[in-house]
Amino acid sequence: MLTKLSGGMVYDPMHGVNGKRRDIYIRDGRIVRKPSANTNIDKIIDVNNKIVMAGAIDIHTHIGGGNINIARMLVPEDHRADPVKRTKNTRAGSGYVAPSTFTTGYRYAEMGYTSCFEPAMLASNARQTHLEMADIPIVDTGAYVLLGNDDFFLRLLSKGADQQLINDYVAWTMHVTQAIAVKVVNPGGINAFKFNQRKLDLDDSNKYYDITPRKILKTLTRALHDLGVPHPLHVHGCNLGVPGNMQTTLDTMQAVEGLPMHMTHIQFHSYGTEGDRKFSSGAAAIAEVFNKNKNLSIDVGQIMFGQTITASGDNMMQYKAHVHAHPNKWVSMDIECDAGCGIVPFRYRDKNFVNALQWCIGLETFLLADDPWRIFLTTDHPNGGPFTSYPHLIRLLMDKSFRHDMLLSLNRHAQKVTNLASIDREYTLYEIATMTRAAPAKSLGLSGYGHLGIGANADITIYTDLKNKEKMFERPEYVFKSGQLIVRKGKIQQTTSGITHTVKPEFDRGIERHLKKYFDRYLTVSLGNFKISDDELRSYGKKTIKIHACQ
Amino acid sequence: MSPLILTLKKRLVTRVDLSSLTPDRLNGLNVNAIKALKLDYSGKQIAITELFDVTGDDTDSIHFRRSSRAFTKIGYAMTKGSIEVRGHAGDYLGQKMSGGRINARGEAGNWLANKMSGGRIDISGNVADFAGAALPDETQGMSDGIVTIRGNAGDRIGDRMRRGLIIVLGNAGDFTGSRMIAGTIIILGKSGHQTGYGMKRGTIILGKKPQKLLATFNSCGKLKMEFLRVFYKQIANIGRRFAHFKDFSPEVHRYAGDSSAGGKGEILIMLHAT
Repeated sequence: MLTKLSGGMVYDPMHGVNGKRRDIYIRDGRIVRKPSANTNIDKIIDVNNKIVMAGAIDIHTHIGGGNINIARMLVPEDHRADPVKRTKNTRAGSGYVAPSTFTTGYRYAEMGYTSCFEPAMLASNARQTHLEMADIPIVDTGAYVLLGNDDFFLRLLSKGADQQLINDYVAWTMHVTQAIAVKVVNPGGINAFKFNQRKLDLDDSNKYYDITPRKILKTLTRALHDLGVPHPLHVHGCNLGVPGNMQTTLDTMQAVEGLPMHMTHIQFHSYGTEGDRKFSSGAAAIAEVFNKNKNLSIDVGQIMFGQTITASGDNMMQYKAHVHAHPNKWVSMDIECDAGCGIVPFRYRDKNFVNALQWCIGLETFLLADDPWRIFLTTDHPNGGPFTSYPHLIRLLMDKSFRHDMLLSLNRHAQKVTNLASIDREYTLYEIATMTRAAPAKSLGLSGYGHLGIGANADITIYTDLKNKEKMFERPEYVFKSGQLIVRKGKIQQTTSGITHTVKPEFDRGIERHLKKYFDRYLTVSLGNFKISDDELRSYGKKTIKIHACQ
Repeated sequence: MSPLILTLKKRLVTRVDLSSLTPDRLNGLNVNAIKALKLDYSGKQIAITELFDVTGDDTDSIHFRRSSRAFTKIGYAMTKGSIEVRGHAGDYLGQKMSGGRINARGEAGNWLANKMSGGRIDISGNVADFAGAALPDETQGMSDGIVTIRGNAGDRIGDRMRRGLIIVLGNAGDFTGSRMIAGTIIILGKSGHQTGYGMKRGTIILGKKPQKLLATFNSCGKLKMEFLRVFYKQIANIGRRFAHFKDFSPEVHRYAGDSSAGGKGEILIMLHAT
């Protein structure tokens, strides 16, 4: 079947198309060339003067796996307060800050998102993560496996193992957990927490293994570079949320010595200690270094005011944050000596100095970073706020006067210390399309996604151009997933199943000899059961596994 | 004015949420307006008259006749008036209630008086588990008011209870007053295992000596607590069924605990008990 989307204003940054009137033809789930004049077009959809973009990609959102599942359990009131009824096309669900799997998929699709990536899959939780992601309808999914705090890796490192052996271990882990990238959370810090260390700076040593976070970062970035994994090491750095952590962040940026690195939710890592309250914005300094170092990419982790829940593998920092828990309940736990899990419900208040300044710091970062190809739009769902607040965030970026009005309603002391009011930049639709479509696809190496070129997967979102960008991005006119019409006027028309994105770097299978011994001696599952095969992954529900190329 | 009487005329296959039928929510509506209301039932909205015969006009006094265990949330968040239920009163009876009175002439289900903060509930039959308890996410259960149960009660009575009074004339299940923060629970019949598990403060008065108390409760000896004489006298005044409280002796064996949670709570075992 051949479908024509006629007369839309196309924004396709991958091909430099900035608001040009173009027709788009879809056949068998892909975008195709304009057919010859005598070809019969089955369906013509008139999208005259509407904004046409590729389906959006969320590079960092906690949507499946141990963390978010424990978060769901911790806040049943969130689910009781937000029941979602079954409709003809969708299943029932619940939850606002940590929604159930089906609801997650519907809400993403209704906003025009077609791919979402879970950034914190513990290797030992991989099966749970993939099972949950298989439940999430419509959107494509993928996951980043956590390394850097697991016992086996730290043993290798402390024994001074060869980089080749570590590369094999990293690649093996990505294979058996079906991951698309590797993330490190508080490098070495989660492990150090278990040896009663409550702080681990970039050059502090883990008491037991005598390894510094710097060493871990260097080793892992090198490994991913050697293996040719498209997405660089996804780094959740040291000292999250600590005033004065901007220096650590600046040092971390230099620590990898020019190798590519992605620094995630950087807003939480950009705090200074100036001013009467010993809390200030480090966004300007960070943005300056970021702009100069082309090897870096970042996502922001913007906070949004209101109730949310913070879910992180970083139990060292979550343990510190538990005193702020609202409502007062929290979880901090170890998982299989692999990493940790810390869940703290939190309410960001606009009249609170620290929260208001966090909000400003996030926006400053967005507005001062000059390359939308290296900065991605996230709220670190649900840590900064639920993903449903993205349209609001886009309006903040695109509408200067709206942003200034919001700023004036915040805590007055925060208004005085931020330079947000003096920044006039407004994001353009082209830049938004870059940071939510083209750039994430490029960074993750998703060939055929995030753009509207010939042969691309027909994930297309079509908006009505409204002055109020929040309204515009909240409710797309049409959303196509692999060529099928999923959403019309913000309502789900049909549900489909997305695919799983992975990469499979080459490695020496001999690594399993070392691992077998380790598994038999220390772990609760055997090596054979630890692995998730392609067949098993398909049996969960998402039938297609797309293996992207390593360079 | 005659009481508003709702008589069930159908066998229910799924639960039906009756939180909209309270004196507060129906205030000012006439019979025709009430008959026009809709209820969520079996996945769709249906007219109230499909389930109930509706007669009477006094919305301050609502009677449910031929009640069913598929009912939920009778008296939800009510602040005034009275509700009488004949038959099984269902789950969540009196949830978030802050005033008024519920009289259930029959049994009641789980989560009786959840988050109740005032008013009074009398049950003449047995109740299931979690009477006056907190839902899984809640840090506090019942926070004021009086609940009386003439029959037996299930497990976890007053779990995380914060204030108020629960009286059970029959027997109680396990974990009575678990994680209790404050308030008073009286069980005249037998009580199950783990009474007072994790209680911080508050008082549990037992009419019969339990088979076993937790090791984290320490005996403070046999005492004559004059306060109890005053307290029992007050209880004797709340209704005919409680008149015998005035004859109770104030002598009790006091146990302090749960020492694993601060140990400021107490279990008082009446001495005339065996």
